[in-house]
Order: sequence, then structure tokens, then C-alpha cells
Amino acid sequence: MANATNGTTTALASVVFLKMHEFARRPVTEQARLRAQLEAVVAVTAAELEPASRIVLDAADGAAVAVLRDPLGALRLAERALSAATAGLPLSVGINHGAVQLAGAGKGDEGLAGDGIAVAANVAEFAGPSALLISRAFRDALANVRPGIEAQMLTAGTFTDAGLRTHELFAPDHLAVRRRRRRYAALSVAAAIALVGAGVGARIATEGQERFLDRLAAKYRDTAQQGKSYVQELVGKVKF
Amino acid sequence: MAKKKPARVGRYKILGELGRGAMGIVYKAEDPNLDRVVALKTILLSDDAEGRKDYHKRFFLEAKAAGKLTHPHIVTTYDFGEEDDLAYLAMELLEGDDLRTRIKEGPLAIADAVDIAQQVADGLGFAHERGVVHRDIKPGNIMLLPRGQAKIMDFGIARMRSADFKTSTGIVMGTPRFMSPEQVAGDPVDHRSDIFSLGVVLYEMLTGTGLFAGEDTPQIAHNVTHVEHVPPSRLNPDVPSMLDFAVARALKKDPAVRYQDAYEFAVDLRTCLAELRSRETTAKKDASGTRTLKIDGTTDRAPLAPAARSIASDTQLPLSRQFDSFAAVQRLAAQNRRDRKLLGAAPRPVGFLRRVSLDAGPRLLFLTSLVAAAAGVWVALG
Repeated sequence: MANATNGTTTALASVVFLKMHEFARRPVTEQARLRAQLEAVVAVTAAELEPASRIVLDAADGAAVAVLRDPLGALRLAERALSAATAGLPLSVGINHGAVQLAGAGKGDEGLAGDGIAVAANVAEFAGPSALLISRAFRDALANVRPGIEAQMLTAGTFTDAGLRTHELFAPDHLAVRRRRRRYAALSVAAAIALVGAGVGARIATEGQERFLDRLAAKYRDTAQQGKSYVQELVGKVKF
Repeated sequence: MAKKKPARVGRYKILGELGRGAMGIVYKAEDPNLDRVVALKTILLSDDAEGRKDYHKRFFLEAKAAGKLTHPHIVTTYDFGEEDDLAYLAMELLEGDDLRTRIKEGPLAIADAVDIAQQVADGLGFAHERGVVHRDIKPGNIMLLPRGQAKIMDFGIARMRSADFKTSTGIVMGTPRFMSPEQVAGDPVDHRSDIFSLGVVLYEMLTGTGLFAGEDTPQIAHNVTHVEHVPPSRLNPDVPSMLDFAVARALKKDPAVRYQDAYEFAVDLRTCLAELRSRETTAKKDASGTRTLKIDGTTDRAPLAPAARSIASDTQLPLSRQFDSFAAVQRLAAQNRRDRKLLGAAPRPVGFLRRVSLDAGPRLLFLTSLVAAAAGVWVALG
């Protein structure tokens, strides 16, 4: 529950941390170019979100976007930003869903703090160049708004940060959805066969195999006869 | 420290006193052999025989190394020696002020500050290439000549100081406020320590504020080790963002991610200087015609933006000035009843009904099973 403690307001948000890989090691001219490029990417991707649901934050080696009440929007933003990596922006992206809190005295020093941001920054640290990793909390938040989407997220491993805190991380795999759909289709067919087969088995058990087969054959004959006369009637009605 | 002016030190004839420092007195002296006026830096040697031997060895090693440095941005050491209780270094005599005095006089123009730092970085690069680390880069050790040339003084002398402070790991040599975190910790230092110190000097020139200043040495040491700097552009809006990046890289706490080479730092500073000069040219052109006004959002001090690896749960990330996040911040600050409920709601586990109604795979399985079960029952009961 969002609450106001000591005059500060906390809430849960999906934090997308866009980290420029090896930023500190690059020459300043390149740093300036990359920073401008990142700002352009954030401008384009964040424009898809409602202004009242996104807060853009500065980081020394990237940027973070806290998205309120829209984990799917956060994932879309991250994926779109990552696609900009092909244009020469070496991004690693980490997403977490966690607590954020307004901080600052309101004199031009406003910002956000909280575990939501700290974990997102750690996750981005673990992601390699042009890679996106998400935390379990964000996976759960995604599953909450669209059950089933979590199947896209495959385990990437368990990572331990500098503070010896372990993070179970996932990476998106869009083909996983198709594989899961196929698995469920196969399972449905198997279930259907099993259930109908169970019905047949029960019937055989009550009236015996011979009688069941006779009745089935008779029913088949009747049905075939009915079908045949119906087809003949239909053919007779057609004038060539 | 010598109380009265000696007539001679070694072969040098003392002409007058130039200044006094922590180590000894600096004299204006004449070298009769070459008929050359020099600055003679004297260092009072320890009374303790054991300490003196060690001191003596170190002094000659360092002075020899420093004597090999001939560079436009390093004060040349001509000679060194020892007489009675004094060790001395004969150095190039320069006319000008040191940077400390210049900073005290008033703020430096940004281009001038960058120019000085770039010259010092060049000098450091030259010395580092020859395996000499200064260990005490600070405004007091940078000499400014009347035509804008900067020269590094006291190469190799930092190790001779007696006013060093002690940490749990050993004696630390240098001036705490300009020291690198590894130097403050008493760990072994290399050339990257000088780069950090130059970063602090540049920061001071750009902002006019003492970075890592504290009430006492432990406080300063703590600040050097743990406190991240506020980007200079937030204190002085005229500082270009490119310079923020250069300063940030020089001031990295971890030497591995700092500039690895003073020349690299110098190259970046030259790029910044070129940008500043081009700005000045544009401004001059504009002054004769249309005027360009710099729109500055706010000059208030804003919090720093730390790198991903140093962000903790209590670390605050500042709002980006490039994007308007006012609506969302307002939404967070003044939550209505609905937002209070929604923004704080933790994700709930997906239950059976939600799974079956919203997830296509399980829904297909559920419906197929339902129909197949009905068919099975119909077959069974007939």
C-alpha cells in the first residue's frame, strides 16, 4: 500500500535502468555523443507512456525511467531502447519492480530513491552489452497484469551483487511463447483422448466388450444408412 | 628550520629568501659555476641517525628521478646535494604565482582553468612515462607563469615531507584534500593517484569550492573515500557538460575506471578547451550582432547522479532536466484514494480462475478437457 511516512511518499513502480556499457572508460567526446543519443532514445521510447506514469531520472552512466502502474509499458520501453543499441548505443538494460520514494526538499533537488531503483541498477550491471535482464519481482508484476507473459522470461541465473544480495534474474525469449502454446495444444489433445478413452473404458466395463462393439457397429450402420439416404435425397433435389 | 639566512649552501650563494614551507626554506641563490640564478629548496634532515640514513637514500633516489624530467610543464631540477643538516635541490627559478594564490584572488575563467589542467596533465604524462609519480599534486605545487604557462613543482619531494599523516595502514604522504582514495587509505599508489589529485585541482578551479573539504583530517579522508562529487556544471552553469564527464572520470574512486593515462586526460581537456574557445568566438560574433542567451533551468545545487554500480537503496537519483516528469511526480506526491490503492499494491499470485480466463494456453487445456470430459461422460452413460 502506498504510504506517506515522515512526509515522503512511497509507491511500487517498474524501474527501467538504461546503462551505457563501459561509459566511464570512454573519451569525453564519445561520452557526450552517447549521452545525447541516450536522451534521444529515452525521448522516443518514453513518449509512448502517459506523462503521469513515467519519471525520467539521470544516472552518471545512463538513465532510469520509473513507470507507475504499467509493467507492460516498462517492458516495451526497455525492448525499444535496447533495439537502439544496433545504432551504436551500447546499452545494458535492467528492470525491477519495487519501492520508490520521492526524495529532495523541492528546491531543484528532487529525485527518486528506493530499493526499486537500486535493484534495477544492479540488474543492469549484470546484463551484458545489448542485453536485457529482469528481476523476479518484475516478472511477477508482469504476470499479474497479463498472466502467461511470464513464460517469455527464461531463467538467466542467480547473481550476487556487491552487497552480497542475490538476485534471480530472467531474460526475455519471444520464441518461448510459441513453444509453450505448442506444449499446451499437445497437452489438450492428450487430455481429450484420455478423457474420452476413460468414458469408453467405463462403458465397456459396465456392459462388456462384445455388446459395446455390437451396439457401436449398429449405431455406425444406422448412422451410415441415415447419411446415405440423406445424400440421395439431396442429390435428387438438385437439378442438373 | 634554519633561523638565519646562510651565506652559502653547497656551492650556491644565497641571494635572498623566496618562501618557507613544511619541509624547509626556499632561497634565491646563484650558481657561481654557471653564473645562473636558481631557486634553492632546502630540506631539513632528521636528527635521528637511522631515520636520516633512510631519508638520505630516498631523497637521492627521488631527486635523481626528478632531475631527469625536462619538460615545458615541469620545473627543471638542475642539481641536488647535502650539506650539514640540509638537503637541497637547485631548481629553475620562475617568476609568477602559484595556483593557490591565483585561486584565492578570485574565480578563474573556465577556459583558463582547463588550459592549466591540460598543461599539468601533459607534464604528468611525461613524468609518468618515466616512472616518476608526484604524489602531491595540489594548487600550491603548480606554478603559473605570466604568459599563462603552468609548471609542476616539487616532483619527487612529496616523499620527503615530515608533516604526513598516519592511517591504520601506515604513513601517508601528501595533502589529504587532494589525495586519491588509495593514497588516503595508505595503499600503494601509482600514476593514477596523480590523475585523481589533478581532478580535484581542476574541480576547485572550475567551481571555486574545495572538494572533499572537512573539519579535520579523518573527516577529509572519509570524504575523499566515500563522498561523490557534485558535477561542476551544477555549481557553475557555464561549465560544459563534456567537462563534467572529464572531471567525473578523473575523480573515479576506483583507479581501474579512472583515466589510465594522464595524456588521455590531457587529450580530453584539449577537446573541452577547443569547445570552450569556439563558444567564446561565437559569443564574440554574437556580441556584434544578434545575442545568444543561455537558457538555464536552475542554478540551484542539484544532487549528483551516481553510476549504476554505486547506487544503493538510499541513493537518490535526480530527476532528469531533459524530460518533464512533473505530472508523475505530482501523482506520487499527492496520491488520490485510487492511486493510493493501486500504486502500493504488490503483485498478487495468479490464481486458477485468472489463469484460465486470461492465459491462452491453460484456457485451451481447460476448455478441451471440459469438452472431452463431457464427451467421456456421455459415452460412459450412454
